[in-house]
Amino acid sequence: MDADGFIQIEELTKVYSSGPVEVVALRDATVSIGRGRFVGVTGTSGSGKSTLMNLLGGLDTPSSGRIRVDGRWISELSKTDLALFRRHTIGMIFQSFNLIPSYSALENVAFPLLFADVPRKERVRRAAELLCAVGLEGRSDHRPSELSGGEQQRVAVARALVNRPTILLADEPTGNLDSRTSRQIVQMLYDLRAEQGLTIVMISHEEALLREFADELVRLQDGTVLSQETLRGRP
Amino acid sequence: MRASDYIEHAWTNLWKKKLRTALTTGGVVIGIGSLICMFAFGQGIQRNIKDRFTELELFNYINVSPRSGGGARSARLRRHAQSQPAGDPNEPIAVLDDDLLEELMRIEGIEAAYPEMRFPAQIRLGTREQFTLVQVVTSKACGSAMVQLRAGRAYASDDANEVMVSDSLLRRLDIRTAEGAVGREIEIRTVVLDFSLQSLARMAFGRGDQRLPVSNRVYSFTIAGVLERMGFGGPLPIRSDVFVPPGAAAGMRKLVLTGVSDLFQSPEETAGYSAVTVKVASTRQVMSVKASLEERGLRTFALMDQLDEMQKGFIIMDMFLLAIGMIGIAVASLGIVNTMVMSILERYREIGVMKAVGATDGDVQKIFLFESGMIGLLGGVFGLALAWAVSFVINQVVNGFAAREGVPFIQYFSFPWWLCLGGIGFSILVSLLAGIYPTRRAARVDPVVALRHD
Ligand SMILES: Nc1ncnc2c1ncn2[C@@H]1O[C@H](COP(=O)(O)OP(=O)(O)OP(=O)(O)O)[C@@H](O)[C@H]1O
Ligand SMILES: [Mg+2]
Repeated sequence: MDADGFIQIEELTKVYSSGPVEVVALRDATVSIGRGRFVGVTGTSGSGKSTLMNLLGGLDTPSSGRIRVDGRWISELSKTDLALFRRHTIGMIFQSFNLIPSYSALENVAFPLLFADVPRKERVRRAAELLCAVGLEGRSDHRPSELSGGEQQRVAVARALVNRPTILLADEPTGNLDSRTSRQIVQMLYDLRAEQGLTIVMISHEEALLREFADELVRLQDGTVLSQETLRGRP
Repeated sequence: MRASDYIEHAWTNLWKKKLRTALTTGGVVIGIGSLICMFAFGQGIQRNIKDRFTELELFNYINVSPRSGGGARSARLRRHAQSQPAGDPNEPIAVLDDDLLEELMRIEGIEAAYPEMRFPAQIRLGTREQFTLVQVVTSKACGSAMVQLRAGRAYASDDANEVMVSDSLLRRLDIRTAEGAVGREIEIRTVVLDFSLQSLARMAFGRGDQRLPVSNRVYSFTIAGVLERMGFGGPLPIRSDVFVPPGAAAGMRKLVLTGVSDLFQSPEETAGYSAVTVKVASTRQVMSVKASLEERGLRTFALMDQLDEMQKGFIIMDMFLLAIGMIGIAVASLGIVNTMVMSILERYREIGVMKAVGATDGDVQKIFLFESGMIGLLGGVFGLALAWAVSFVINQVVNGFAAREGVPFIQYFSFPWWLCLGGIGFSILVSLLAGIYPTRRAARVDPVVALRHD
């Protein structure tokens, strides 16, 4: 394990307690991810993949263990600082896209910039630019319901990247897509990583897809890290 | 997030749910509208009273009467009948006669002193008759600010054979325009005398029944002018429908009093007035003038004394109206709470997205607070418009009815700037308060739960 990893996850444990029942979603997970790497995370359902991603994205706080991102121990940040961390460092995409149905594609992409105090004109400009980058120029006025699943996920990718994050977290981004569209989306992430210098952590059931694109593969089982396999060396 | 972004964002979201926004805002509009209406009514009444009083210089008047209970004439009558005067025999009993009026005029600050004399009479104009009070008013007083002329002019002199009538009397006499009445003949039939005088005379001399002081003499006058009847009572110097000048009245009065007045034929008798109205040059002098009048053994009544009481009454009235208005506000607030809770449940996932893309709890709370406040702003603005519209309609209707009774047009509602701004501000404040609970809930939404797929 690389102690100087861009992302350093150390003995991370997350316990959910709903009443008297305690569920250990993640147990002593230790993962190191280098800058600019494309890391695939796989495992059976309930193995703790989403839990790991939410902790890494600062949406949730660990029960024990710690996470360091680019030299900062984010597991020690306050709630507000975590929000700022998400705002500036993290971009997230989800299986169910999580677009705001009443907003147009452009408004959805521009939405994060609202919280970053970016002036309106600049918001529109950057959102249009990113829609273009994901190949959706001309669809900016369409509502999510007027777009296909693949197009919706492209909008979600554009939204995740609009704040120029350094890390892109993708939780089963292809889970709702057919295999052809899935490949297109992952290919797009792959290309964007090179263009924008992103570090990508992508969760997927489809190991074949991850093996095709990812540099490393992390396997989870019952909340523990089974293995971290390097598929490709550093570029 | 910038304030302009919050506002724009709030507006966009409210606009997307037009019906719900309209219904919720409607509740606020009604609540705030009725509250503003209530206050505007309170303000209108207060302004009417105060402005009118000030305009007519009513705070400058002092009503003066003799200190003994039954008025000057009865006190004098008792003295004449060698009966005991009421109260302390050593207490000076001032007689309100012309000599005293002269004396009063010399008191520092007193501008004028008008004797107050009124008598009941039957009025006839054309074929219509009305029973009313006739008041003796000097021509000087008629030309002053106390009288609001509608048509014609004040009578020429204190001896002129002219009268002034109120527009409300004209209406009761079926005369539609004030101008049409000027110059017409009017008959005043004196009907009855001072009953207290009569009864006292009978008690004192036991022979009043022989010569009943009833006269049916009819006097003809020309209407010189029409004046606006004043809407308020109190110690007004003028509160009758017909004014006659003192010269003409003196002649009438003599005849009116035929029978009993023979008994008291001394000149001082007829000069005693039941009350005198004193006009003080400046309201600041009212208190000192009052004091010097009381030193002379006179009883005084000034509206100035009532000012504090009036103010207290106004405050109580405002509180009462506020209490009623708050019912609507309470209902409207519940509407806002309901709408915000609904909106937050609907946008649960959206809140998750906000947090995922970097919104702090404070950002989320503010987004929804701005929406809540926007409902308040809209409700306040339209509520003010509603209040204005309703008050306009009420004003028209009430004044329409009142006009038939001869009451002049009165603005019953007043919308001072502080009420307009305060109403809108209050609306926003209430909406923000109503939004606190739902927006805190929004801020506490766990993004992990909100974003978990189906
Ligand atoms: N809020 C919660 N309260 C209680 N238990 C939870 C909570 N969130 C997750 N869990 C449990 O933690 C474990 C890991 O959940 P997680 O969502 O990380 O799994 P996953 O690997 O993402 O599964 P999937 O592939 O189905 O998305 C599961 O057993 C789940 O039931
Ligand atoms: Mg999952």
